[in-house]
Amino acid sequence: MFESIFLWLGAVLTAPFFSAVILKVKAFFGGKKGPPLLINYYTLIKLIKKGSVYSTSTTAVFKLGPVVSCATALAALLFLPIAGRMPVISFNGDVILVLYLLGLGRFFTIAAAMDTASPFEGMGAAREAFFPIICEAAMFMTLIFFYHMTGELSFAAYFSGDGTLALWQIAGPSLLFIVIAFFIILLTENARVPVDDPATHLELTMIHEVMVLDHSGPDFALIELGAFCKLFFYAAILSGLILPFESGFTGMGLLLFVAGLGIVYLVVGVIESVIARYRMDKVPQFVLTSFALAFFATIITLELMQ
Amino acid sequence: MIHFFVAISLILAGGVLSLVTARHHLFSRAGAVILISAGCVWGLVDAVAALTGSVTHTASFQYLNLFFLAFEMDALSAFFLGVIFLVCLMAAVYSFHYTEDDTGSVRTAVTAFFFSLLAVSMAMVVTAANIITFMLSWELMSLSSFFLVIHRYEQKENQYAGFLYFVFSHVGAMFIFARFGVIYKFTGSFGFTDVHTLTEGAKILAFVLFFIGFGSKAGVFPFHVWLPHAHPAAPSHISAVMSGVMIKTGIYGILRIYSLLELPAPVFGYLVVGAGVVSGILGVVYALGQTDIKRLLAYSSVENVGIILIGTGLGMIGVASRNPLMAVLGFSGALFHVLNHALFKSLLFMGAGMVVHQTGTRSMDALGGLLKTMKITGSAFIIGSLSICGLPPFNGFAGELVMYLGGFQGITLDKIPFAVSVAAIIGLAVIGGLALACFTRVLGIVFQGEPRTGAARNKTESGTTMQTAMGVLAAACVIIGVFPGWFFNLSLSAVGALNLGYARIPMAPFAQMTGDITAGAFVILVLVLVVAGVRSWFYRAKPVSRSGTWGCGFTQPTVKMQYTGTSYAFDIVRFFRPAAPLEELHPPVAGRFPVATRYESRVHDIAERCMKPGVVRPVQFLFDRLRWIQHGDIHLYIGYILLAIVLLLFFI
Repeated sequence: MFESIFLWLGAVLTAPFFSAVILKVKAFFGGKKGPPLLINYYTLIKLIKKGSVYSTSTTAVFKLGPVVSCATALAALLFLPIAGRMPVISFNGDVILVLYLLGLGRFFTIAAAMDTASPFEGMGAAREAFFPIICEAAMFMTLIFFYHMTGELSFAAYFSGDGTLALWQIAGPSLLFIVIAFFIILLTENARVPVDDPATHLELTMIHEVMVLDHSGPDFALIELGAFCKLFFYAAILSGLILPFESGFTGMGLLLFVAGLGIVYLVVGVIESVIARYRMDKVPQFVLTSFALAFFATIITLELMQ
Repeated sequence: MIHFFVAISLILAGGVLSLVTARHHLFSRAGAVILISAGCVWGLVDAVAALTGSVTHTASFQYLNLFFLAFEMDALSAFFLGVIFLVCLMAAVYSFHYTEDDTGSVRTAVTAFFFSLLAVSMAMVVTAANIITFMLSWELMSLSSFFLVIHRYEQKENQYAGFLYFVFSHVGAMFIFARFGVIYKFTGSFGFTDVHTLTEGAKILAFVLFFIGFGSKAGVFPFHVWLPHAHPAAPSHISAVMSGVMIKTGIYGILRIYSLLELPAPVFGYLVVGAGVVSGILGVVYALGQTDIKRLLAYSSVENVGIILIGTGLGMIGVASRNPLMAVLGFSGALFHVLNHALFKSLLFMGAGMVVHQTGTRSMDALGGLLKTMKITGSAFIIGSLSICGLPPFNGFAGELVMYLGGFQGITLDKIPFAVSVAAIIGLAVIGGLALACFTRVLGIVFQGEPRTGAARNKTESGTTMQTAMGVLAAACVIIGVFPGWFFNLSLSAVGALNLGYARIPMAPFAQMTGDITAGAFVILVLVLVVAGVRSWFYRAKPVSRSGTWGCGFTQPTVKMQYTGTSYAFDIVRFFRPAAPLEELHPPVAGRFPVATRYESRVHDIAERCMKPGVVRPVQFLFDRLRWIQHGDIHLYIGYILLAIVLLLFFI
């Protein structure tokens, strides 16, 4: 139990570090040295030291937005097995709870954005309301695949112990489809290129950045922390999928997990540096690809497991 | 069943009292509200007692050997009775201040009378035990709600809405009546007990026809066309009752017929899940295309009926595939959603009613910023929106989790049930995402931001009973979301009455599930409190100031530059293009200098668009041909009467 809580705290505290890896990769592709790896910690401390300016158009919902989005990201990590160990909480059906908790965070982020009466934030909110609909369909298709393989509906059953290795043994190469589909979902949900560019500040190209335009100070620090934790959540799932090896040494599992995370963040950084952002109306096609991949994976294993 | 009859007599007395004292505005309203509320409370307590005790009561009356009324209250009826009485109670409390400054005290009294009649007839529909009682109560329900829909009959759109509703409910009733007639011919009695003796083909046909008939009352696509017209036309507390419970009587009919027919054919499940997925997705897509708040909420009711049908269909597939867990999860999830939807939809309609009452407009794009001036309405509306999107820790999530678990049980089946279960799960996921988009839209455009026109400026809330009713419903949503156990056990008892062939449904395995929901709710609540505490600690000695919203350096911002509802939903509606055709009228600007022009867009409902050429025109053509029967010549009419008497003499 304490090990799980310790791992959860470690995940929350190291999430900003891993996001800096992406910045370093992007700088490498640009021939630059890039910001230090601890940049996100400096940013969080800087933001916490500041005060805030609130718009006169906003109400209490605006103050609630960062709180709920951070809390839901932290809650999602509570249910996830980190480094193959048992998660803090686990029960049958907790996958659905986590997906809907992330939806709760999205609701409050959108509500906080609409509170400011700004057309920029309305634009971001409208896009944020649209793309995750297809993401939800793709996530549930992946969930159907996992349930078909294992007959269980909890993260602990999929990713802790030798659950993932068993998945690879049963499903085989069709799990590759799931990995790619899940990677596409990661890019969409966390506002990475090619869906959204986290480094731009033009309203025509923003989704997440524009929604949090009016937040400042500790509110913005909470939003940033929530975003780091959410990316860590998705990356941890992928890391568990791509490096499922179980070994006798106690530290080895943690090392493999961190290596897997490093690979995932590296690939995200490479994609951000190499591909341009898609035009907004091509994004639904992009996300539907992940749904199609998950769907095909399920159909293939249907035949295999007859 | 003495308590049941006392309850409906009290409600009816309230209606009659208000009619008798119609001239005294305050006294008729107060009397009606007190008596109707008393009757509803009595009936609610009785229904809950019957549910928890799992007993069945019966009562019957006979009159002159012709008129044989029979009532039966088993667990399923008691569940629906509880929902009916609870929502009618809240609506009655709400109506006291809502009808305060209505024009004409006589009309208010007449509306109160028909409201009481509606409540009584709905209660009688769900407890009817033979064909005569059922059809009588069904007709009474349709007629009383018709008179409620045309409350403000001066406006043309209300007349059209009433007429459409009248036609739809009677065509649906004809389907039901025709089928009941065939059943009478088969079984020779008016009772429900021998329905299962029909042949298999007759049963399948019976189910399909009953589904059409009850589906038109419930608002299943494509028979939902009356819903978006009738709900905005009626006064808000009536819309709450109609949307919260009256459409559920259609669901009750489908469930009752399914349990009476006793034919576990899988095709029923496929039909119901298919209809549910289509209604759910299209309902919320059309809701996204509306600018009238109450029309939007009406389409959202279509969506939730779709969700309930998905759950019901999953239960039917479970019965057909001999998977008791799936069957119980599906049906109990559907029934739990009936309760939850009644609560949060009434809450949303009451909030919309307060907004319409204070601002005088139903158009979303004329409002804005109401959360600052209407705090209680706004907070209640936020809770209602969170519940309807199925987000934890509110009650919508609890019902949807049960349905998801039932759907996942179906993944282990093969071929067609597998495909249908996959469609059900993906359908629920997409509906949830679309509902989130729809209700963040309503919240964002109506309650947040800045007022777009003068209609929304400086409008405060008034009416203590209106706020009380909304507060109670919001509290109920939160309580059921965090502690769903006891309420879920009620729906489990109701499933037991469906006569599925399982001896007695054990509550213990489901206690694990509802305990998990409670645990999850506490996790998120504790985390939110902790993070809020951390946040206020961060803000301890920090400078906080207020200023205008940053406009990206633009020097002349106006409130009209905010996002409108149409822009918000534009991409989503466009994604569903074939099913939600978007019509845009935009005369081009000619010449070199700026001139005035206009832009108009509407989202068409394809069922309504196909109704005119597909149904109305052929029927008009046919009856035009038969117009020669009504010559206007009295001699011909006397000849008709003679002919009818002669023909009847052959048959009697």
